Amino acid sequence: MKKKTLLLMYMLVSVVWIYAQTKTVTGKVQDESGVPLANVSVQVKGTRLGAVSAADGTFSLSVPSTAKTLIFSLLNYRTAEQSITTSPLTVKMVAVTDNLSDVVVVAYGTTKKPEITGAMGIVKSKDLENKPFTSVDRALQGAVAGLQSVASSGTPGASQQIRIRGIGSINASSEPLWILDGIPVNIGDASRLTTTANLLSTLNPNDIESITVLKDAASSSVYGSRAANGVILVTTKKGKSGKTKFRFDTEVGYSDIAYFNDQYRPLKANEFFELAREGMVNAGLAPATITANLADWGFGNNVDFNWLDAVTKKGTQRQYNMSASGGNDRTTYNLSGGYFRQEGITLQSDFERWNGNISLVSKATDRLTISTTLNAGFVQQNAPLSGGSFGNPILSSYFLLPSRAARKADGSLNITAPDFGPGSLHNTIATAEMDKRFLKQLSARGGLTLEYKILDNLKFTSRYGIDYNVLEEEQYNNPFHGDGQSVGGRAFVFYTRLFNYTWSNILDYRTSFGKTKAFTASAQVGYEAQDSRTLTSNVAVTGFPATTQLTFPVVAATPTQATATGSDYSFLSAFSSASVNYKNKYVITGSFRRDGSSRFGLNNRYGNFWSIGGTWNIDQEAFMANMKLISQLKLRASYGANGNAGIGNYDWQPTYSYGSNYNQQPGSAPNNIGNIFLTWEINKPFNVGLDLSLMNNRITFTADYYIRKTSSLLLDAPLSRTSGFSTIRDNIGSMQNKGFEFVLNAIPVSTKNFQWSVNINYANNKNKILSLVNNQDIIAGIFIRRVGADYQSFYAPRWAGVNPANGDPLWYKDAEGKETTNSFNDAVRVMLGSASPTYFGSVTNTFKYKGFAVDAQFYYSGGNLVQDAWAGFYMGSGNGSAFNKIFRQYNERWKAPGDNAKLPRYVHGGNRLAQNPSSLYLNKGDYIRLRDITVSYQLPASVASKLKLSSAVFYVRGTNLFTVVRDKQLPWDPEQGVSSQTNLNVFIPKTITAGLNIGF
Amino acid sequence: MKMKYYLIGCLFFLVSCSKDFLEKKPYNALPVEDALKTEADMLVALRGAYASLRNVDLYGRTIPVLGDLMADVTYQSASNSNRYTFYNQYGIPVVDGNALGMWTAGYQTILRANNILSTSIDGTANARQYKGEAHAIRALVYFELVRFFAKPFTDNPTNNGIPVITTFDITVKPKRNTIAEVYALILDDLTKAYNLMTQTTNSSQFSKYAAKALEAKVHLFKGDMTNARTAALDVINNGGYTLLGSSNYLSYWQNPAPLTNKLETLFEVSSDGIANLGFDALGYIYSQGGYGDMICASDLYTAYSATDVRRSLLTPGTRSGPAVFVNKYNNIVTDRDDTKVLRLSDVYLIAAEASLSSNETDARSYLNAVATRRDPSFSGFTSTGTTLLEDILTERRKELAFEGHRFHDLNRLKRTINRSNDYPAAARTIPYPFDRRLLPIPRAEIDANPNMVQNPGY
Repeated sequence: MKKKTLLLMYMLVSVVWIYAQTKTVTGKVQDESGVPLANVSVQVKGTRLGAVSAADGTFSLSVPSTAKTLIFSLLNYRTAEQSITTSPLTVKMVAVTDNLSDVVVVAYGTTKKPEITGAMGIVKSKDLENKPFTSVDRALQGAVAGLQSVASSGTPGASQQIRIRGIGSINASSEPLWILDGIPVNIGDASRLTTTANLLSTLNPNDIESITVLKDAASSSVYGSRAANGVILVTTKKGKSGKTKFRFDTEVGYSDIAYFNDQYRPLKANEFFELAREGMVNAGLAPATITANLADWGFGNNVDFNWLDAVTKKGTQRQYNMSASGGNDRTTYNLSGGYFRQEGITLQSDFERWNGNISLVSKATDRLTISTTLNAGFVQQNAPLSGGSFGNPILSSYFLLPSRAARKADGSLNITAPDFGPGSLHNTIATAEMDKRFLKQLSARGGLTLEYKILDNLKFTSRYGIDYNVLEEEQYNNPFHGDGQSVGGRAFVFYTRLFNYTWSNILDYRTSFGKTKAFTASAQVGYEAQDSRTLTSNVAVTGFPATTQLTFPVVAATPTQATATGSDYSFLSAFSSASVNYKNKYVITGSFRRDGSSRFGLNNRYGNFWSIGGTWNIDQEAFMANMKLISQLKLRASYGANGNAGIGNYDWQPTYSYGSNYNQQPGSAPNNIGNIFLTWEINKPFNVGLDLSLMNNRITFTADYYIRKTSSLLLDAPLSRTSGFSTIRDNIGSMQNKGFEFVLNAIPVSTKNFQWSVNINYANNKNKILSLVNNQDIIAGIFIRRVGADYQSFYAPRWAGVNPANGDPLWYKDAEGKETTNSFNDAVRVMLGSASPTYFGSVTNTFKYKGFAVDAQFYYSGGNLVQDAWAGFYMGSGNGSAFNKIFRQYNERWKAPGDNAKLPRYVHGGNRLAQNPSSLYLNKGDYIRLRDITVSYQLPASVASKLKLSSAVFYVRGTNLFTVVRDKQLPWDPEQGVSSQTNLNVFIPKTITAGLNIGF
Repeated sequence: MKMKYYLIGCLFFLVSCSKDFLEKKPYNALPVEDALKTEADMLVALRGAYASLRNVDLYGRTIPVLGDLMADVTYQSASNSNRYTFYNQYGIPVVDGNALGMWTAGYQTILRANNILSTSIDGTANARQYKGEAHAIRALVYFELVRFFAKPFTDNPTNNGIPVITTFDITVKPKRNTIAEVYALILDDLTKAYNLMTQTTNSSQFSKYAAKALEAKVHLFKGDMTNARTAALDVINNGGYTLLGSSNYLSYWQNPAPLTNKLETLFEVSSDGIANLGFDALGYIYSQGGYGDMICASDLYTAYSATDVRRSLLTPGTRSGPAVFVNKYNNIVTDRDDTKVLRLSDVYLIAAEASLSSNETDARSYLNAVATRRDPSFSGFTSTGTTLLEDILTERRKELAFEGHRFHDLNRLKRTINRSNDYPAAARTIPYPFDRRLLPIPRAEIDANPNMVQNPGY
């Protein structure tokens, strides 16, 4: 007891003693124009004592009474020293305009801007945070020149497709490689029952500090056989030393259909029956049959149900994010947690995410730094069916007759004959209530990194990272109506687990040499092992009790599926890179990687990939010293070889598979011909670029030209089928993408209170197939792959309009469009255009006045065609007679001889195959869309500090608020996935949110 | 500095394990060289070969459907799921998917059999049995393919047949063998099958007498009546199988499972509750609970007497007008119907036809063994000569209807196909010869194999 009291007294005394020996320095940090600077590190010279400036630029620091000088440092500003004379101090910091000190995250590390020889795009956290997107890949649309990010569905949690510098493959993957904090992660849609899902949806975009998109050989080839489609490096937020900073973000909002063409609304009952009757008369049906059919379809039942209204709704959106970060100069941390909920704009579409993130960095010793990150997220998602599924609510809203109501007069669900008997389209209002479709997705991504400075200029890094995803999918179809009816109800529970680990070991060395140490050189060697394992198991059952309350397989009578399997791959790589820098004027970089993969055939197990790049920083030349206007002028060029290993895990292996069972006894059969030479696709990108900055970076301009040729494309070479196999997969074809990219940033106006800045990015791309198997055309649905043509060329007859005399559909019989025919089979198929946009980009304007800011980003894309793949049913001149039609079909049809109608005579059962794909159902895809508009107000620092806040921002954000399309006949949203084909998906939403960000 | 060496050592630790690290094996498959090493492996592979016969374009559906649709037994309902429309119309295009499917699946099955026959495992009775069954499977598939893709043997045996492939080679680009060469392989396979097999597992696997029954049929299709009779009589007299009667006729057709009691079925292709073609199963295209596209020709329906038990499997109804529904395959949920390939009744009728020139009494007796069992009030045929031949052929049409036989019978006899008014007007009289009575060699095969010769007219 005594001891404790003594100790306490000693502590008290010592505190008092320390207190007595310190003084408090306060002050304010500003830039040259007087704008407060936040996050400036303030350190007492010669000590480890320090603080960080608040959002209003103020700082407060207890310093020993002996302290004389403070050091102020901030990224992109020149470090300042200030002697402690008065308090409060006012410190002005000068922005660095020589572009020499910017640090950029690149492959396996960071680099300074002058040493960059490649082409890359950088997205900062402010462009990713608090957006109404369920996954970060959606936020990349318009953010980086040459990166095309497109959705095909507005379902919350839907997958997103990204193409960097065009499509580079036919049968292998065209998605880029994603690296999260140095760890390659599995991306894409791993679900097996869900219509669409996205592994990245478990990652909260608010946890991301920056994204670097690597586009060319010099920047990406060190990722070897997986770099061909580009690489996306995601860096999560890390803590900064100083006072613990809390941040709280909240937002709420609602969403609606972003683009809707009124000509394509479903018909009302009277319109439909007028059309249906006319169609049957035109088809020559007997009056009795017409009457009978109309009665079948509910004519005269006084029901006029609007299915589209019934299945769509206003979506809601909210999210809450909280973070705490801080630490001291030895250990820093960042902790965050978030909740995100989005309800889609159709029935059965919703998404919820809970996530947490921990990041710790500790300098264990002066030489050893240990850091760890763990990012975990759980998503629960509900996605409606799409495409031709009878249970697809969008399909039902366009196909179900308005004379069929969702509910009977007594309010009960209408799920029986005559409207909804067995085999009919489903009442999706009923199935939404009675069926269940869930995806639960849990991801944990994290790693442990050791950095050891062997010498001051020699560093060893060892990183072990994991990427773990578990998907549970549950589907229940009730026994009364819909997909489960014929089997007395059915249910599925599917489990999918993906586990992927990577271990990297890297040595970094940096040195200077030459006279006056004019040369600096850096070199890196590394070794990396990655192993990815997938396990899946399926349970399927039928025969449910007559209730909708018991939905799990345990209550079902008949198991129909009980199986499990897996799929694995591994990579083993050695890599190196080096750069030599002469006075920041000339920089040469090179990289080399050797990749082995389980996916490559036995005889081609290892591949070599390399790059070389060079930069001339002209602004560093003596003759530029007096050109104050130009703050940066840089030329870059790079070339190299990387690969696309996005091929099947076991494609190369000649195997006998099991499962050809007979009488419920195991059976085997040769299933894969294999190819022991099978290997990665080769991509050789050439890039030349220019970076120009004027007037102290008020105007910056970047231009890149690239040409990339992919060869050894995986294609299926036909075999004589008498061999027992149809094709053999081999590295055969080649393809080319080339294009320009421009990025312009400008600050036209900048005064103390008002600033206007503009960002414009533009990219065009031209794709061309160079060779195929025997250079024969490959016809894949409506697309043709032909040597010399774009990979995504639509190939169908050209529509020639309607014969005014008899209302027949007409197509061109020859490629020149001279002669028309009313026989679809005589029409010649021609190449009509590409599904890939030829150009796309964004224009962003930001206006700031005092605390107010308006940020408006327009996204534009065009030069492509969009196919309405389902128009043959609702605009097919009578095809699918028992389904509802759209207004354009009703409004523009031919009625009488002499009509110059747009659409043919409406005939029950279809008019001369008018419903078949032709240019009638292709529309120009050009559009411009207000992707994002944000109006925000930041509370003045003086007010905020009174509220004990370091910052407070209130904003209202609109996403996809309006869309302007070039083709007024464009039926659906212009964004329809990479292949630009509609599939009766959930509409892309427009969203309005209001939010509050508070820091304290 | 010790730390440094330790860490660098770490780098090289990985190198040493690299070889295993890149070995990833599929979960559902074995390397080809590990798949057929033992007698037990042979049995598993043999089941795979049988399962291959279940392919939708082999016995799963296309073979039995086309054998009737292209003849005068079934027609496609006006309201239909758009399957086999071209065959109903006799307008088969060169890119037809069913012809492609049959060709592809046929040679896949042949590969499965070839691989079993190529193993060096020989010594045991089991191994001999499995090889015997593989020979029979291969013979069966060649027999089907040569009948669909080539002219009948009875036309001219030196005509183009189909390529004979007996070993696996991915680079193969074969020419067409002559029809005679294909039949020679088939008969050689069946002789080996007969000699190797000693076991009768059940009706869904080949046995000694199933192979002999097939041999009888092959001889019949060669027009070799002497050998056809010998083989058929061997089955009838020594096989131990019993003919289906009228009392057990309905239950026989309702049963979806293979038999072990040697009743009627010599060989059938099994489908069960788990391994089946679902909506593509044979029953689905017949049953009105499924697609129900295939309707019994009205002249065939009237050919059955009112007391004929076979008529009880036919139900007159309405489907875009009057239609006679076929209830031979009604198991469209859970355990699906098996596809009958060789039945004892067929062998009796072969024996009848093959006896015609040598022994009319025998011919009548084998014919009546079937005919009187189906219609208990029928006292039997007493006809002779060409009338007897016609009676035998009519009985074949009636007995083997909906099992895919009639088209081939009319081909080997080089007869005109006279179809009822149920068929499209432009396709009611199909003369012999007629190009569309052969399926096209699939365009994919022609494109991949420059040595392949297309059938005339495609």
